[in-house]
Amino acid sequence: MMTPMFLWEQVLNGLIAGSMYALMATGLSLIWGTMRVLNFAHGEFFMLGAFFALTAFELLELPLAPAIAVALLGVFLAAVLVHRVTVAPLMRQRGWDFSTIAATLGVSIVLQDIALMTWGERFQSLPYFVEGIVHVAGVRLPAQRVLILLAVIIVVAGLVTLLRFTRFGMAIRAVASDPEAASACGINTPAIHAATFGIAAMLAALAGIILAPIIAINPWMGVPPILKAFVVVVLGGLGSLPGAVIGGYLLGIIEALGVAAFSSEWREAVALTVLIIVIWLRPQGLFGQRIREA
Amino acid sequence: MRLLPAWLRASPRLWSGVALLGLVPLITRDAYVLQVLSLAMIWAIFASSWNLAVGYAGLKTFGHQAFFGIGAYVSALSAMHGGLSPWVTMWFGAVAAAVVGALVCLPLLRIRSLPHLAIVTLAFAEIVRILCSNLVDLTRGELGLAGIPPFTPLSVPGLGLVSFGPADRASTFVLIWSCLAASLAFLGWLVRSRTGLIIQAIRDSQVAAESLGVSLTRYKLFTLTISAFLAGAVGAVYAHFVLVLTPTSALGIALMVQMTAITLVGGIGTLQGPLIGSLVLTVSAEGLRMAGDHRMLAFGVLIVLVVLFAPRGLARLDLLFGRPSQAAGAAR
Repeated sequence: MMTPMFLWEQVLNGLIAGSMYALMATGLSLIWGTMRVLNFAHGEFFMLGAFFALTAFELLELPLAPAIAVALLGVFLAAVLVHRVTVAPLMRQRGWDFSTIAATLGVSIVLQDIALMTWGERFQSLPYFVEGIVHVAGVRLPAQRVLILLAVIIVVAGLVTLLRFTRFGMAIRAVASDPEAASACGINTPAIHAATFGIAAMLAALAGIILAPIIAINPWMGVPPILKAFVVVVLGGLGSLPGAVIGGYLLGIIEALGVAAFSSEWREAVALTVLIIVIWLRPQGLFGQRIREA
Repeated sequence: MRLLPAWLRASPRLWSGVALLGLVPLITRDAYVLQVLSLAMIWAIFASSWNLAVGYAGLKTFGHQAFFGIGAYVSALSAMHGGLSPWVTMWFGAVAAAVVGALVCLPLLRIRSLPHLAIVTLAFAEIVRILCSNLVDLTRGELGLAGIPPFTPLSVPGLGLVSFGPADRASTFVLIWSCLAASLAFLGWLVRSRTGLIIQAIRDSQVAAESLGVSLTRYKLFTLTISAFLAGAVGAVYAHFVLVLTPTSALGIALMVQMTAITLVGGIGTLQGPLIGSLVLTVSAEGLRMAGDHRMLAFGVLIVLVVLFAPRGLARLDLLFGRPSQAAGAAR
């Protein structure tokens, strides 16, 4: 039944899913923009975030807010470690554009297996952060889903502020536009790379944490989100932050309408087909610069 | 020696190794050993097909598992429903994979950015996997396609009727070994031919190759089609060897990870690399299975270690295999 009300409900659901995609893609794009590395392990930071929060909440019995903070910090440190051990040394070698992809692919498998050994394959879940139902423009939505929408808007606004108006953010943008010139100006480029990698991973972890009450936490939960994030960065233009955000919401809505038209087991196929169409018609994406020579 | 073709003289160690491998059924008839080595040879052919695209042509794709799976499913389904012999249907599988490979290549021809290539090929392979697991009526989805016929018995002069069922591990071994030898001979000839040299020139610099009048479109399309054909053919052999297919086992990302590990460990951009990597990894994975099933963990760790510390792979450790191969620019 494609009534206007039904469609509007789908669009709202799409916006909520899309905000998660936007968060994932923003991190992926940030890493690409700053160090030209395609991070295949990004989905595993999404997964680690959820597991860390679960452990902090259930095992350490922390209240929800500190548990989330501990989980984000944990993922930040894990990501800095991954960067330090794999990406940073590879970037000093020849052929790093391919070797970093291969290495992060390896890291993603390793992290999945570590999670499997640590937490097992039992599907787990966090409790809802907020209870209740909210009415949004005539549609009844669980408060948790509205919270996701709001949290992502706040985080993205915070990230934009950080990048635009702080010295740290300016250093990131300087490194992104020319690492050598930035180093010459006294910016510690390796440290900026590590911090950017960590922050991007925290964005993925946050997406994992706020979705944890809705989806099952398991070692392989990071795979669908990273595929979506790949679609979004191509759709929005690799390295473009507005592209990642707008692309994320756009993909969320397209997917929701696609699922309404077909059925939910085709959700992933809809997203991936969007990707193929974008590559055919506009390979640089909506907001992308011309594509660089590989 | 002059009588031998150039590709055979070029890598004596590889060909002696392949020949030795072919003697294994004379030494042992142990079903388990032959089974493991047969699988290792299948992965070696599969990794070689990927190696042609990635190591020789520099087309960094991450979607070859789709060609393998298409070959496997097309051949299995046409043998089951069409009542044709797997000897015939395996070519259907290979051609189907090659056609799809050419189609996938079309949008990629305009893109030179490595991450885009990686993302699109991976996404394409996932679409194929999702199609396969959702079209339950045809493929039985994740329940698995069972009842695939093995290769039909062949009448061999001097040996009589040779069958290739699950009980005939030795004859199946010889069959798969022949596929391996044929694939490597073809690839060995190809990479030394004029076309092969042009393909490697494209890998080393697209701009330089283009400025010398090389049609990038034509050669990329050629390479990916050939590579997909080979992956599809070996996928079909796999289907009629294991006799059960699931989307995860024949099309999943794990397959891509395994193939990447095999190629990188063995040595990307070398003829012998995939075979060495496959034998080392498959045999050691069987050893690891005793210590719990953490095969994927081992593959992940190996990929990271190899790209960090031995980007040229085992094939180019001079101690083991003599002079370094000529394809020195492959890691680029």
